[in-house]
Amino acid sequence: MNPINISLLVFMIGLYGVMSKNNLIKKIMGLTIMNGSIVLFFISIGYKEAGLAPILEKGTTGGIPTTILVDPLPQALMLTAIVIGISVTALALALIVKIYAKYKTLDIQQLSKER
Amino acid sequence: MSIHIPILIIISPLLAAFLVLLTRKYKIILATTSIITSIVFISTLSSRILSGDKVTYHLGGWQGPLGISLVIDGLSFFFSLIALGLGLLVIVYSIPERRYGRTYYFLLLISLSSMIGISYTSDIFNMYVFYELLSLVVYLLIAYNMKGMALRASFNYLIMGGVGLSFFLLGIGFLYAMTGTLDIYHIAEQLPAAFDSSMKMVIMSFVLIVTGIGIKIAVFPLHGWLPDAHSMAPSPISALLSGITVEIGIYCLIRVVYSIFSAETFSIIIIISSSHTILIVLGVVTLLFGAGMALAQTDLKRLLAYSTINQIGIIFIGLGIGTELGLTGALFHVLNHAIMKGTLFFCAGIMIAKAGTRDVQGLSGFSRQQPAIVFAFIIASLGMIGIPPTNGFVSKWLICLAAVEAGYIILAVIILMASAITAVYYFRVIQVLFSGPPKQNPLLINEGGQMIHRGNFFRTWTIYILVAGCLLLGLVPALGISMVKPAVSLLLSHIIP
Repeated sequence: MNPINISLLVFMIGLYGVMSKNNLIKKIMGLTIMNGSIVLFFISIGYKEAGLAPILEKGTTGGIPTTILVDPLPQALMLTAIVIGISVTALALALIVKIYAKYKTLDIQQLSKER
Repeated sequence: MSIHIPILIIISPLLAAFLVLLTRKYKIILATTSIITSIVFISTLSSRILSGDKVTYHLGGWQGPLGISLVIDGLSFFFSLIALGLGLLVIVYSIPERRYGRTYYFLLLISLSSMIGISYTSDIFNMYVFYELLSLVVYLLIAYNMKGMALRASFNYLIMGGVGLSFFLLGIGFLYAMTGTLDIYHIAEQLPAAFDSSMKMVIMSFVLIVTGIGIKIAVFPLHGWLPDAHSMAPSPISALLSGITVEIGIYCLIRVVYSIFSAETFSIIIIISSSHTILIVLGVVTLLFGAGMALAQTDLKRLLAYSTINQIGIIFIGLGIGTELGLTGALFHVLNHAIMKGTLFFCAGIMIAKAGTRDVQGLSGFSRQQPAIVFAFIIASLGMIGIPPTNGFVSKWLICLAAVEAGYIILAVIILMASAITAVYYFRVIQVLFSGPPKQNPLLINEGGQMIHRGNFFRTWTIYILVAGCLLLGLVPALGISMVKPAVSLLLSHIIP
């Protein structure tokens, strides 16, 4: 089983959490799991077995065959995606705090009954 | 200086957003000035864009697939102009409301800046980042007044939007895995080769991206968040959401469907025709569902929110037909929808503030209090229905004509049927506005027994400008069509290689 399939499996687990759980915190956990699976997916795109970091030393013009270099771009992208994921989670948790202060519950079934 | 104009258009509101946080007195002047500056910058490019040219700017001087480029062509020019124009009016409309502090203008400017960013960038990951920024700001703006319902609506939108953008990002991952580049135009070049070797992955990425954006546009089965979010937000924000934010989603969809997954990409014609059929089917279902649900609403702003879903369906049908006439109609309808929905939500904001209730029945007799506002409401709703002297008629007519020409007579019938339903729910509101004695807001009566007219000048004049736009585009449709033309010819060049 390669890492891409695993990451898609984890993505589905996260989606299941978001859709089926009634607790708001658990929904946010599902969203975070989805985000994590995407990070795993991107990293596994660029991953190479026994690969090298694509850093060239000063004075040399390459010399390392590009086939064993790891693709650095997905890792750079994922730094951005992780930051975005954290800010979404932070905002969601802030909203949850406000919702709990108003309604004294985090269950979505009970929340939908409130007016 | 002049070559840096594309980035200056994005930076101007972004810079002003952070400056607004520092000042208390000049926040409104700063916000409006930055937007006007952006509009001036865009208008310096307009002659080049309208003649069919495109302006490319490489960020940091990095060319091609390595760096991020900003590309302003007919399509992105059109959408960014709508965003800036309505954004300016939303800021002006918000002036009289004293509850909106510095953070409100900060968030508003960030959202406008990221919308322009989405429409200009040619890097698909950058598009995702701008979209996520826009969504974050919009969640905050919906929850701005901290009422319980608004918080819940915002949270629902956050969950749905988060899932949608995760799908979008995963789709980008698939595209990157196949092509090894993130630049939209390079992906489009590389994709045919990738399609031959791994067809399933191409289809997978298409499905993921369209589903992800579909959640943000509120296409029928994925619309659940929209009525709550659009109706619970403060009124100027509702206009912003319905008028621009949804449209920006449509822009992303057009870019993806027409630029990346175009017929140039697929030598196999089945895929492209099926993707267009998907658009038409989604459009029809969304159209009928939105119209049907709007009939059942008693809350004025929820009714307008469902009406947005209804209009998105019409735009989808136009895009799905895909002929020159259909695309012109669809893009023109995007512009018209922004103007008309802006008017309706602005009017609804005034009515709700005066009457103190969101219930349609509670607005009875409003025509005696402010006949001009009611007149504006009627003009805009005539546009929504599609009755001749207004702009909505022209675009609906073009889409119907395109449907008949392309051989889908049933589509024209469906659009006309939906227009009849639209007429029913808008006329119901208008009838209530004219009937019965005027009601006073119980809260306002308590404050010394007289109505408080606070800053009506800004609110009414934004509405008058929008209504004038409605009538002008209805009487002289060539104005709007000339704006749409470069975008349409661009899209057609993608379809027919």
